[in-house]
Amino acid sequence: MTVIKGVAVAGIGETGYYKRGTAPYGALGLCVKAILAACEDAGVDPHELDGFCSHGDDRNEGVELAAALGCNELRWSSIVWGGGGGGLCGALGQAAAAIISGQASKVIVLRGHAENEGARLMTAVSHEHMNVHFRAHGVVSPTQVCALRARRLLDHDGVPADAFKALAQACYFHAANNPGAVGRDVVLDDDRYLGARYIAEPYRLYDCSRENDGAAAILLTSVEEAASLRRRPVHLAAVAQSQPRHWGPLIDNDDDYTSAGFKLVGERLWRATGLTVDDVDVTQVYENVSGAAVAALIDHGFCTAQSAGEVLTLENLIAPGGGLPVNTSGGSIAEGFVHGIGLTLEAVRQIRGESCNQVPDAAVSLLIGGPVAPFVSSAIFTAEAL
Amino acid sequence: MSAVEPLALAAPVIGPVGPLPDGRDAPFWDGLASRRLLIQRCAGCAAWIWGPQWNCPECHRFDPDWVEVEPRGRVFTWTRTWQPFAPEFAELTPYVTVVVELPHAGGRRLLGLLLNGDGVRGAGVAGAEDPVLGEDLEGVFQPGSELTGGTAVLRWRRSNQQRGES
Repeated sequence: MTVIKGVAVAGIGETGYYKRGTAPYGALGLCVKAILAACEDAGVDPHELDGFCSHGDDRNEGVELAAALGCNELRWSSIVWGGGGGGLCGALGQAAAAIISGQASKVIVLRGHAENEGARLMTAVSHEHMNVHFRAHGVVSPTQVCALRARRLLDHDGVPADAFKALAQACYFHAANNPGAVGRDVVLDDDRYLGARYIAEPYRLYDCSRENDGAAAILLTSVEEAASLRRRPVHLAAVAQSQPRHWGPLIDNDDDYTSAGFKLVGERLWRATGLTVDDVDVTQVYENVSGAAVAALIDHGFCTAQSAGEVLTLENLIAPGGGLPVNTSGGSIAEGFVHGIGLTLEAVRQIRGESCNQVPDAAVSLLIGGPVAPFVSSAIFTAEAL
Repeated sequence: MSAVEPLALAAPVIGPVGPLPDGRDAPFWDGLASRRLLIQRCAGCAAWIWGPQWNCPECHRFDPDWVEVEPRGRVFTWTRTWQPFAPEFAELTPYVTVVVELPHAGGRRLLGLLLNGDGVRGAGVAGAEDPVLGEDLEGVFQPGSELTGGTAVLRWRRSNQQRGES
């Protein structure tokens, strides 16, 4: 694997977050709204879009989007197979592949859903990804699947529960500065966190993301093209996807059970870019639940199970002062959850210098997709080409 | 018997219980109906295989054997669910799901409900008598019920508890 050369983010757009089941449009309409916003941001005529990539069982196919937008010609339409947010960054990699190989030039990466129409929670998630070997035993939600992993991360690997708490608190701390964050008014002190009801032990309420209606889109082009448009290009420097051997849809028979699946992703990202964890200025880590994000940070090398208690403290996880600022717009836990796509936008905003919790002079921005998914992925955005 | 029956009869199950759509795990469910735990093992390289496959992921030989395994195991991990993720679960929470490591099947793991002895259904207090990683469990073959669409399932109980059902 090498760095990606010549691909940049030219525009970003989003609908904002609606309470689940309350969006004024179906998912297709929400996606179109987000795409139009990304085109406006970039200064691109939406008719010129020629590619669409998504992940996580998105139902909004490129053909539907191209028809809705009246695109001149659709040349690329793809999705990263599999559920969960594992393909969040893989979709960026697909767009880069399309652009570098000359098969498309203005490619949208997107994710959107509306619960009323898609019934994602009880159909796509519960029935398709929790097969009968889970469902027959009361396990129907990713929260429960992640709770099983988390229990062993705590009791076997020795990660302190305070690391989960710090991760959740960092999300809410950042959300307070984000007017669009669903959880902006929640002050998550220790009492509120520890006093909240259990969802699936060891997870309490504030460890968990909520499911929202909404959509977001990222417009990728060549760096040359992006440079001719309205916004300063943000370089997509690297993407790595992975399903290691003895990991994946194995009904909890994964070898490295307490991993979030990213160990090879992390190794490959650092080797390809020549960067280290110390070079990362800011990180967005997909956190459907707090502990899965903790495991993902361990996988990428930010700490070990043994050092997690020292490294993953609230003080260290918040911008602008912390050494490892994460989820600076509030993340899936406190900003809102549309399968992680909001994290992608925030990773770009940090390089642009436009975050509501800006890390000063952020030049290397890491995006970590859905943890504990069968097929996981991460990406690095940079201010300058690597 | 009374200690087991409430959860046994009203288990938090949604959707049909039985073989996967392609049927590659059908012998597992057939085995449970005759009170036998059957796990796949490669007839070629002797690898234990779970989840169920048509072929061995190690040597790629097809048609793994279905080997009867003693239904005993150890707690690999667990969670106690409080949130009624489906409306049908509202009266059933909290309940404990365990991942059970099977020493007699090369350490392969099964999910299962912990029947009695988790201390929760009576106490309603988080942390009461939590399962412990590594703790011994024994399987309980539960006949099919209306809830499972008539399909037999395997539940678990702590080995150090007095047997609560026939």
